[in-house]
Amino acid sequence: MKISILVEFQYHVANYFYMIGMIAEPVIYLVVWSTVANAQGGEVGGYTPGAFAAYYIVWTLVRNMNIVFTPYGWEGYIQRGQLSGELLRPIHPLHNHISFFAGWKVVVIVLWLPLAVALTLIFKPTLDDITFLEVVVFFFAIWGAYLIRTMLLSLLGMITFWTTRVSAIYEMFFAVELILSGRLVPMSLMPEWVQRIADFLPFQWTFGYPIESLVGRLTTTELFSGLGMQLLWIVITTTMVSVVWKFGIRRFSAVGN
Amino acid sequence: MGASSVAVNQLAKHFKVPEREAGLKASAQALFNRKHRLVKAVDEISFTVEPGEVVGFLGPNGAGKTTTLKMLSGLLHPSSGELSVLGFEPRQRNHDFLRQITLVMGNRNQLAWDLPPADSFELNRAVYGIERKRFQKVLDEFVNLLEVNDLIQKPVRNLSLGERMKMEIIGSLLHTPKVLFLDEPTIGLDVTMQRRIRRFVAEYNERYGATVLLTSHYMADVEALCKRVIVIHHGKLLYDGGLSGLVERFSAYKKISVTLRERDADISGFGEVLHRDGARVTLRIAKSDTSKITARLLSEYQADDLTVEDPPVEDVIEQVFSGTEQP
Amino acid sequence: MNRIIKLIATYLRIGIMNEMQYRINFFIQLLQSLVALGTGLVGLALVFDHTTELGGWSRPELLAVMGVHILMGGVIRAAIQPNMQTLASNIQEGTLDFALTKPVDSQVIVSVREFRLWQVVDVLMGLSVLGWAVNELQGQIGLGEAVIFAVMLLLGGIMIYCFWLMLTSSAFWIIRVYEMINLFEGLYAAGRWPVGIYPGWLRSMLTFLVPVAFAVTVPSEILVGRIDVLTLVGAFALTAGLVIAARFIWKLGLRNYSGASA
Repeated sequence: MKISILVEFQYHVANYFYMIGMIAEPVIYLVVWSTVANAQGGEVGGYTPGAFAAYYIVWTLVRNMNIVFTPYGWEGYIQRGQLSGELLRPIHPLHNHISFFAGWKVVVIVLWLPLAVALTLIFKPTLDDITFLEVVVFFFAIWGAYLIRTMLLSLLGMITFWTTRVSAIYEMFFAVELILSGRLVPMSLMPEWVQRIADFLPFQWTFGYPIESLVGRLTTTELFSGLGMQLLWIVITTTMVSVVWKFGIRRFSAVGN
Repeated sequence: MGASSVAVNQLAKHFKVPEREAGLKASAQALFNRKHRLVKAVDEISFTVEPGEVVGFLGPNGAGKTTTLKMLSGLLHPSSGELSVLGFEPRQRNHDFLRQITLVMGNRNQLAWDLPPADSFELNRAVYGIERKRFQKVLDEFVNLLEVNDLIQKPVRNLSLGERMKMEIIGSLLHTPKVLFLDEPTIGLDVTMQRRIRRFVAEYNERYGATVLLTSHYMADVEALCKRVIVIHHGKLLYDGGLSGLVERFSAYKKISVTLRERDADISGFGEVLHRDGARVTLRIAKSDTSKITARLLSEYQADDLTVEDPPVEDVIEQVFSGTEQP
Repeated sequence: MNRIIKLIATYLRIGIMNEMQYRINFFIQLLQSLVALGTGLVGLALVFDHTTELGGWSRPELLAVMGVHILMGGVIRAAIQPNMQTLASNIQEGTLDFALTKPVDSQVIVSVREFRLWQVVDVLMGLSVLGWAVNELQGQIGLGEAVIFAVMLLLGGIMIYCFWLMLTSSAFWIIRVYEMINLFEGLYAAGRWPVGIYPGWLRSMLTFLVPVAFAVTVPSEILVGRIDVLTLVGAFALTAGLVIAARFIWKLGLRNYSGASA
């Protein structure tokens, strides 16, 4: 982890460039929905412009925590022999990735704070009812989100063990995830039937839930059951990853790169 | 200046290179306080090249050869000094100037990777505005010379390294430039391919009377193509003249190979024994002692054969660059 | 000038031939474009689930904006972005040399040599969405308006090109500019909605810093009948200014690359 922090500090400028490009997305959503809220007399779906601001500012951190090794990278990873090299080490290759990216996340959190301050000054979010409990839950929730998404994208990436014609699958996945995770809009603004479907999927636990744990109006029960759901999904996805990994490695060893 | 192709006077190129150590603390320091080191890549060199000459630039890595070529082709602005190519100041990058020169770099590709060379050649035709008939004639001529007729329709990525280099050279000469800057054109190629490329360059030089400035690591390139050699080391011009003169100038040694009647004679007293193969012994002696030692050898021993040679140019060059020989 | 046009035609031909070899990329692009369109329409539908107009724009009008956005995006990704990306790596790896030893203006070479054929799918898709929107609007699009629309698109495109060139030229001085794509894409995404809805400071950025407003919103305004002479004049003026500025910065960057003392 220490090494990745060092590496990342050297590229601080590039990181900021990247982050500024990234906050454009939530800012757009924020402005659009604030406009709608204003047109509808001050709030829409229970969200005022201030509430939207809070949602989308926290969004930026959660988004960052969500960025993990891209499934597109698995093809190169497998074919360029990197995987072979890592299989020879006594640590499971995924541990390596998780720690590396986790190290980066620490840097990201630190770099995010000034950005968050700036955004707060510009968009004036309503932050009055944040409790200490919510902050604590939030802290755990973002790491839960990180783990779930790591597992999900690893699953996607492992499809590459069997075929490289994967972009269709990936694109569909990302599109669905965008809509059902709370990234596009807070889930409560979605039509009922969509929310129902989303309840069965892990997506909202990687995005919407962490945000709402901090700035939403979740009851204590909901806060903890949310963490529970995250744990559940972590267990499910990790199990799936181990299983698929075993089959994938078997195939990899049989076929080679 | 008049009729010469290339004229260089006190040309120099300096670079400010930032210095930084590894580690987090040093990186942070570097943000505020940049230390610089002045590197004299080219240190006041002067030479003139007449039209049609083929000149070889010899020097180890980092000697300043490529930097000099880049200045001559207008890519780099000199730090000081004057230079003129075909009467133009290269750095103005006048279009008429650019039309008459070409730059070929051995380890860099210009041709489109996924397409046949023929398409890249068409592109060059458009870029240089070469008239169709003339273009076809020149293309056919080169393709025949290098025997690549059946390859110009194959995508570049499917060609071998040598074949690719042949195509690169063809592509860079389609506009029949008057001055060629070749930077390590045969690097990485096998011996046969190196010879083909050299022959081609020589042919081009003969047919079109072009001036060729060539840099290389390989003595063979220089020996085969260049009557004149310029040696550059640490940015300074060490030597400018014929190849034979190079050995004369730089080597303080000669090699004597003698086949003695007496098989186990010990002649190590005469000089450094380089090689012993039965009755044949090779000695290294100081140049100035040549006649003395030869005379003594022949008077004290019976010899069937005796040859006095210059050390190979490679050895001389190597010693020049490692500093054991003084200019 | 004639030679330059022929040169562009040759580059275009080569670029197309290159891409034709990878026909699979057409299908990948088609899929990506459809997915992007899908999510865009979902976003639009969501908004109109909760309201009837956004910042004074009706649903078909916003659809028109989306169409222009997609169309322009296709043009940018087909012709502008690939050239700039190649240029950026050329500058950073020092391989710009070959572009500089040709007897053609280097800015022209580095701006026209790449062309990604399959991105044209977005252009077509954008036009389709536009067609659908115009149809829903049931307004009359006169020939005059169509011409002005096309001209505004052209000017918008030129402005975006100038912006990209200036951004890429910063590679002459700073080393790492790979993330600039992210920056642009992020800001360009803002163009899917009419810039009028954004707070003043952002609107200015989207007009003068990254000319998204002129590339997308203004042409859309013309199409839906909100022509403003002042805006048109402003577009011409800004385009001219950007072209001059971009050229100037390009030349400055080249001098730096060649190690010319300032």
